[in-house]
Amino acid sequence: MLEVLGSKVLHFNLHFIGVLQLFSQTIIGAVTPPFRIKDIIKQLNFVAVESAPIVVFCVSFAAVVTIIESSFHMKIVVQNDALVPGFAALLILRELGAVVSALLVTSRVGAGFAAEVGSMQITEQVDALKMLGIDPIRFIVVPRFVACVLGGFLLSIIANVVCILCAMLVSQLSLGYTYGSFIMGMKGFVKFQDLVFASIKGASFGAVIPIFSCYYGFKCKAGAEGVGLATTNSVVTTSVAIIVIDFILSYFFSYFY
Amino acid sequence: MFNTIGNAVFFIGDCTLFVGEVIRLGIKEKPSLHEIAEQTWRVSMQSLSTTALAGFFVGAIMTVQFTMQIQQFGALGYLGGLSTSGTIREIGPLLIAFMLSGKVGAFTSAELGTMKVTEQLDAIRCLGSSPIREIILPRYIAIILSSFFLLAIGLLMSIGGGLLLGMFFSGINHEEYLRHIPTIVAWPSILIGLFKCLVFSIILASICTYRGYTTTGGAKGVGLAVVNTAVATMIGIVIADWLTSYICEALQSYFLGV
Repeated sequence: MLEVLGSKVLHFNLHFIGVLQLFSQTIIGAVTPPFRIKDIIKQLNFVAVESAPIVVFCVSFAAVVTIIESSFHMKIVVQNDALVPGFAALLILRELGAVVSALLVTSRVGAGFAAEVGSMQITEQVDALKMLGIDPIRFIVVPRFVACVLGGFLLSIIANVVCILCAMLVSQLSLGYTYGSFIMGMKGFVKFQDLVFASIKGASFGAVIPIFSCYYGFKCKAGAEGVGLATTNSVVTTSVAIIVIDFILSYFFSYFY
Repeated sequence: MFNTIGNAVFFIGDCTLFVGEVIRLGIKEKPSLHEIAEQTWRVSMQSLSTTALAGFFVGAIMTVQFTMQIQQFGALGYLGGLSTSGTIREIGPLLIAFMLSGKVGAFTSAELGTMKVTEQLDAIRCLGSSPIREIILPRYIAIILSSFFLLAIGLLMSIGGGLLLGMFFSGINHEEYLRHIPTIVAWPSILIGLFKCLVFSIILASICTYRGYTTTGGAKGVGLAVVNTAVATMIGIVIADWLTSYICEALQSYFLGV
């Protein structure tokens, strides 16, 4: 029992140090020249532009559910649903928009990175880069990191705006609010800093994704099984990390309201 | 654009046919109980700690958010009931199922995809047996059972996480927190939460077994199958979340008049 626990702790420690190392090397690579602008733009297209339709689609469905459920809860506690716009907008801006879009991006982009880097690793392309004197972290991880931070920032803003627009539409159709009264109801609750905090959340979730997926991609073992395992591990670890970071950031931001 | 829509329609149709075949086979020939129990145990134990951790943090996050909203009205007494109800009815199943689509769904499709590209499934067919009966059917049933169990455990843990943060962050003692849970979280809410869990686990099992079974093309194909599974499952879960919310709302207002 104790032996198993000890080996698990040591194992975890090893992974933790590896991720920390990769993260610090990536940060150093991101702030020192040469900057690979072309690569960054290519990755930004993959991360942000191609994910945008899925994120918009899913977030608009989530908005419908939020409005229906918060109307249900309001009716229980205060007997009417006059405060629904404000509460729903707050829930969307502070929690739902950023987290749902980040989890979607994780499963699409993060898993894609892990599969891509993993197959590079097992076909020895990474070793070939080292042979040519190119730092694989600077060549592979840094453009993806910068693109994901920018992409997470942009996607969280897009997701929040679409989510609130959909909430407005639904509350007009099913609860009978006009658009004007929805916006007036929002105004008492929502401040500009909410959008700022949401985009900070989006950027930090975006920073987590490429680090974990490239870490598991570099550790990939040979064969089809290895690639599948690397992809699965990266998605799971990133999702847990996103939920934990969300908790820490929510706790931290709560002192500024 | 049209190509994407066409692909999506093809995916849905093919997946439905596949699931229909699995179910038909399951009714015609009894699946082996031993195999199902073994798979259920494996999947559940593999993901139990991750799901419990995710559920705990989801409950904690919801309590922190609700505290900031309710505090303005001085209605912190309602915190326990409201955050538990919100977590169980909507946010909890959604976020924990997202988690599971990465853990269970991606893992299963990677495993089945590896079997497919290394021709193990064809080997079973060569031996005169059906790969759907030997490999897919026990996994399909096991994934439904164990994801339902895992989602329920996640929801239970979310109550614990909410309680802890309610005590340390919002400064409410545990009696006050627990007092309003039974008054606001009635039986219909719990049933709706569990119904959502069941629907999500059926979607998860269908998509991951289908996508694993139809993998083609080496190590890169397996990676692609995993990515596709995760994305398709999440989209399916979001749409199912909306549909179940809508149906349950209609049923609730019809039967209970709430």
